[in-house]
Amino acid sequence: VAAAAARGALRAVPLPAPRRGLAEPARPRSTRQLREAEEAASVFQYVGKAAKRKDRVFVWGFCYSGALGVPSFVTPDAGWKKPRRIQPTPYRLETAEKISSAACGYGFTLLSSRTTDIIKVWGMGLNKDSQLGFQRSRRDRTKGYEYVLEPSPIPLPLEKPQQTRVLQVSCGRAHSLVLTDNEGVFTMGNNSYGQCGRKVVEDETYSESHLIHQLKDFDSRVVQVVCGQDHSLFRTKKGAVYACGWGADGQTGLGHYNITSVPTKLRGDIAGVNIVQVSSYGDCCLAVSDEGDVFGWGNSEYLQLACVTDTTQVNVPRHLPFKIGKIKEAACGGTGNVVLTEEGNVFVWGYGILGKGPNVLETAVPEMIPPSLFGCSNFAPDVRVAHIRCGLSQFAALTNRGELFVWGKNLRGCLGTGRMEDQYFPWRVTVPGEVVDVACGVDHMVSMVKSFT
Amino acid sequence: LNAAPRRPPRQHVRFLPVPGDGGATELVAMRVPVLADHPLVRGPRFKQLKIGAGHRLDMKASGVLVLGIGHGNKLLTDLYNCHLTKVYTVGGLFGKATDDFSDTGNLVEKTTFDHITREKLERILAVIQGTNHKALLMHSNIDMKTQEAYELAVKGLIRPMGKSPPIITAIRCLQFTLPEFHLEVHCLHETQQYLRRIVHEIGLELKSSAVCTRVRRTRDGVFTLDDALLRTQWDLQSVQNAIQNCQLKVKAEIERTLG
Repeated sequence: VAAAAARGALRAVPLPAPRRGLAEPARPRSTRQLREAEEAASVFQYVGKAAKRKDRVFVWGFCYSGALGVPSFVTPDAGWKKPRRIQPTPYRLETAEKISSAACGYGFTLLSSRTTDIIKVWGMGLNKDSQLGFQRSRRDRTKGYEYVLEPSPIPLPLEKPQQTRVLQVSCGRAHSLVLTDNEGVFTMGNNSYGQCGRKVVEDETYSESHLIHQLKDFDSRVVQVVCGQDHSLFRTKKGAVYACGWGADGQTGLGHYNITSVPTKLRGDIAGVNIVQVSSYGDCCLAVSDEGDVFGWGNSEYLQLACVTDTTQVNVPRHLPFKIGKIKEAACGGTGNVVLTEEGNVFVWGYGILGKGPNVLETAVPEMIPPSLFGCSNFAPDVRVAHIRCGLSQFAALTNRGELFVWGKNLRGCLGTGRMEDQYFPWRVTVPGEVVDVACGVDHMVSMVKSFT
Repeated sequence: LNAAPRRPPRQHVRFLPVPGDGGATELVAMRVPVLADHPLVRGPRFKQLKIGAGHRLDMKASGVLVLGIGHGNKLLTDLYNCHLTKVYTVGGLFGKATDDFSDTGNLVEKTTFDHITREKLERILAVIQGTNHKALLMHSNIDMKTQEAYELAVKGLIRPMGKSPPIITAIRCLQFTLPEFHLEVHCLHETQQYLRRIVHEIGLELKSSAVCTRVRRTRDGVFTLDDALLRTQWDLQSVQNAIQNCQLKVKAEIERTLG
């Protein structure tokens, strides 16, 4: 102890006395001693037998719009840190509740939970058209925030807030839709083309607006809402599809090219057909029926509907006669479309990076992506693609093993692969958990993940 | 080997004196064996053999170890440059963590493991396979933007053909009875200690701990357990038969990969 004090050691606690006992010489411990020490050691329990898997949310992509919901990316905590422009790999987002549905718009994100608490929907990102509702500014109580950097609650004017549950959210370019189980659909944001389902008011200022419109007037309960770029689609329980919004590319499917400000039922080839899924993100729309047929309408400048027509705009739903098997799910991107068949095969067509290498940049006929690219091999023969999603120029596929594959244009790091280059064939995204669902936007993505244990 | 019959000695023509008729010695041309080829002059044919070893197998592991004799050493370098996968059977035990990741090391921690199910283990293995597949594609030094890269990826033939960190190409669970489990691992450029570390990390991922009880190499490139010689078979005849049986396989594989 005197020597330690002389060296200037800063030990506040005196060293424990040596326990060896100097009666016996030092020897390597015998097998019996080792076994006894092992049996006497205490057992730690990190997790009990009934431990549940935790639900997590991961985000990645362009940060400056605030759409990722992490304020330290835009305004760092310490002065010497620099703001992060792109988050190239999945980053965990802490949420108050379990998020059941997420949607990415053009620079903003909506997250919703099936809770019966008052706050059911959170939004972050751009709010210049009140697509996230009115976010009161803390500095000036009369003004609202233009950029929301953190998941902030969106106050919905519900009649029975403690009984209604929010089922799904969807985001377009500057408007958003919230679907509830028994109070219809709530819309907010830009309405210059009637995409919010209410009459267009000339010279209306959409920023800092408190207006959230409620739509209840459908033939039956609405079960799915989809936002295109400037139009909205509603699918009801009876299998009908309603549309409103901009129609210059025929994306409302109502037989004309004007705007519609009231949700109107679509006719054409889907009249009387029980539609089970609708999808849209840009100006093209696809619908899948319960018998496995797929119908399309809208923009066809990129050969999306070229198998039925040569015109570049289709304003009435047309049946797409593909001979690839029964179709389970369809997803539309900006220039390319993808469908998933009952056997688990993925077919792509359209224009852009479709996922079949750099040579296939456009095709009017659906082409299959080989299942070996999704992890199916002799070692793991029962790997199948379970869901497909589309962003503006990228695609995402979820397998039944919980792996996420992405491909397409890597705009501002939105693919989440960690690299900035475009990806010409499906590539795994390393997420620490089993991916349950993913929402793709223009330059960012949000995924709902269950932890492993 | 030295007892095997040698080639017959060379013959050459020498003029030897022979007593002719009538007392005078004459030189007669005769074919005699060369003295330099006589066994007592030459000595044993093989004083030492050049034997080289293939991929390393450490003290605590067992399994196939490839050796090359003579010309086989050059084939060993060619086989190394083929970068073929090796298959191991790895046995693990839940509940313990030691400092050198095997069951003979110093105990670090004991944990509970009753929450572990086969399903959770398979999920972790799927993720390990996924991240290693990504590493496989990245270290193979092919430009991802070319059509050639796409075609190789579809066929599953992308492989690093140079130095790379250890990569697991496939992993699956053969047997699972708590607390023991057995895995089959196909890997490249690995060491057995790396496999033990993988077992330890699987234990950590499952919120418990694991040690590796055994590592057994069941295949090294083209050589499987059936070609391997047991300790009782280390004699000349078996070695010669083994070399003959493998010759064709090795030649075919080298030609296929290195062209």
